[in-house]
Amino acid sequence: MKLKRDAGALNSKLLRRPIQKCFILFLIPTFGAFIIGFIYPFLQCIYLSFCKFITTRNATFIGVDNYKNALSDSSFLHAFWYTAVFAVVSLLLINVLAFAIAYALTREIKGSNLFRTVFFMPNLIGGIVLGYIWSMIFDGILSRYNTSILLESKYGFWGLIILMCWQQIGYMMIIYIAGIQSVPEDMIEAARIDGANGWQTLIKVVIPSVMPSITICTFLTLTNSFKLFDQNLALTGGSPFEFNSDGSVIKTTEMLALNIYNTFYGTNTAARGTAQAKAVIFFILVATISIIQLRTTRNKEVQQ
Amino acid sequence: MAKVTLKDITKIYPNTQTKKKRGKKAEPKAKGAPQVTDEGVVAVQKFSLDIDDKEFIVLVGPSGCGKSTTLRMIAGLEDISGGELYIGDKLVNDVEPKNRDIAMVFQSYALYPHMTVYENMAFSLKIKKVPKDEIDKKVREAAEILDITQYLDRKPKALSGGQRQRVAIGRAIVRDPAVFLMDEPLSNLDAKLRNQMRAEIIKLRERINTTFIYVTHDQTEAMTLGDRIVIMKDGYIQQIGTPQEVFDHPANLFVAGFIGMPQMNTFDAKLIREDKKYFVDVLGIKVELSAEKSERLLGRNVESQDVILGVRPQHIVLTDNGIKGSVDVSEMMGSEVHLHVKTADDKDVVVIVPTDNNVLGFTPGSEVNLIFGGNVAHIFSKENERNLEWD
Repeated sequence: MKLKRDAGALNSKLLRRPIQKCFILFLIPTFGAFIIGFIYPFLQCIYLSFCKFITTRNATFIGVDNYKNALSDSSFLHAFWYTAVFAVVSLLLINVLAFAIAYALTREIKGSNLFRTVFFMPNLIGGIVLGYIWSMIFDGILSRYNTSILLESKYGFWGLIILMCWQQIGYMMIIYIAGIQSVPEDMIEAARIDGANGWQTLIKVVIPSVMPSITICTFLTLTNSFKLFDQNLALTGGSPFEFNSDGSVIKTTEMLALNIYNTFYGTNTAARGTAQAKAVIFFILVATISIIQLRTTRNKEVQQ
Repeated sequence: MAKVTLKDITKIYPNTQTKKKRGKKAEPKAKGAPQVTDEGVVAVQKFSLDIDDKEFIVLVGPSGCGKSTTLRMIAGLEDISGGELYIGDKLVNDVEPKNRDIAMVFQSYALYPHMTVYENMAFSLKIKKVPKDEIDKKVREAAEILDITQYLDRKPKALSGGQRQRVAIGRAIVRDPAVFLMDEPLSNLDAKLRNQMRAEIIKLRERINTTFIYVTHDQTEAMTLGDRIVIMKDGYIQQIGTPQEVFDHPANLFVAGFIGMPQMNTFDAKLIREDKKYFVDVLGIKVELSAEKSERLLGRNVESQDVILGVRPQHIVLTDNGIKGSVDVSEMMGSEVHLHVKTADDKDVVVIVPTDNNVLGFTPGSEVNLIFGGNVAHIFSKENERNLEWD
């Protein structure tokens, strides 16, 4: 017994200690990359949101003016509500459809593996390409009715929803399939014997058991929708525009990320600070919503 | 409470592979492997059994013998490929599980992890839209019987294995089923808990007097719980009988080996018929069979032949002059000693010796002489391994 303990101690001294001593050495590459790629730009971004600047080198501190401008910008507020509605609608549609397809494909349908692959494939195409492809499809159809996706904001909205569903359902489906497959078969059979019909089994047994998948998928769809940029840019680019009497322009299908981009790279270089402030508000918004969402769905998760 | 009648129940799993993939020549099958026909793999073959009202039937056999499949067919979780299944007087082949008036306890408990113990037990009643106060009464009654009242508010993950199993049983009790199905309910428990739960199932059975069908691979459970035992192998019923019957008169060599701990010893022997008397000659020792046994063999007109002789370890005694052997291993079990003895033909024979019999003398290598009485010998045909006396 004593021998064994000594061997263990020796083992840890010889092998583990030197490695433990150099843990900083091992952390440096990743941590360095993290600081350069994330922490520094993030802090810089927050600092710049309080500055007036054109390039980052000639920034002058002006306090909270940028935030005042951002919050009084009607196009930003429009973009916020537009994004919020878009996020809710796409969250519901994508998750309901993805779950339904996943449920169907786990019911031993012939060729379900083929379907899984096919449904997943849209994910492999980049957002910009997708946006252009779908704008051609939509315009191909809408031109029959002498209109275009760029002409009416409701077309732009639903076009974006269809595009997002098409792209994201396959991905969420894979996560749901994994979740549904981990529901023990015994439990489903027990529910059958207990007298539950297919619908009751789904609602009362299957869905509560796949709550972890639901958490992940709602989180992903929610943040994806809020951060949506390239599809938005390529599909409508914000068209159609509304011109207000005070001279401001509201791009009716412009979402938050695109609004920030347009503010920053627009003709008015003086608004860069405002764009920076919008970006910080945007970050706080997405972070808050995600945390609230994770909290609420996590609570419903159970362990086997 | 109901009779259950199984008539020629057969289960065939259709081949999933196409004929091309299967290849042209079927591989020669190992003896006793499941039958593969053109239709598919036969899991249960012509299973016929009449289960009386309030009877406790145990299906027992090694893995892959079809016992669980049979139970799942009774539950309605598997389609029945052929034959008829009656619960009560109703043909239920195509009846949904929920309408068969059965309840089932699974090996894995299969509790709903997101519901409390109370909700787990109430689930089936809620679906049946039973009034709330009645549900409450039934759940509390069942919890009382199973001694889990204090856990009603907990979720399954906060319970131990034994407690979970009680909840699973409770979930079945509240439904007040005509037939109670149990699929290896104790297999996931440790040995001590298993013994305890076994005793509880016996008690439970007295309280909720209904028909039980219980599947296990453990012969101790089968012997202690069953009114009758059905021993299965490779989809076929080997023997149906009370625990005493299958122990005393195994229908064939398989049953003889499966029932009884330690396993029955077998010897190559000669059955000799001399007028109206029968003898077995094993390794040069001739033992006369009891009058009772001789009479039965005579009644079946059994001739002298090579046989397989089976004698249970409990029935072999040490003597001064008998089958010679040397002790290989001596296992001290407390109240008794299991001696593994090597005989002249290199067979391993197990003998149970009470500890008061100077057991310390049995060092490995020491010589012993074994003998058994003519009333405890089981004679099996060498050809088809059937019991020559009974079957």
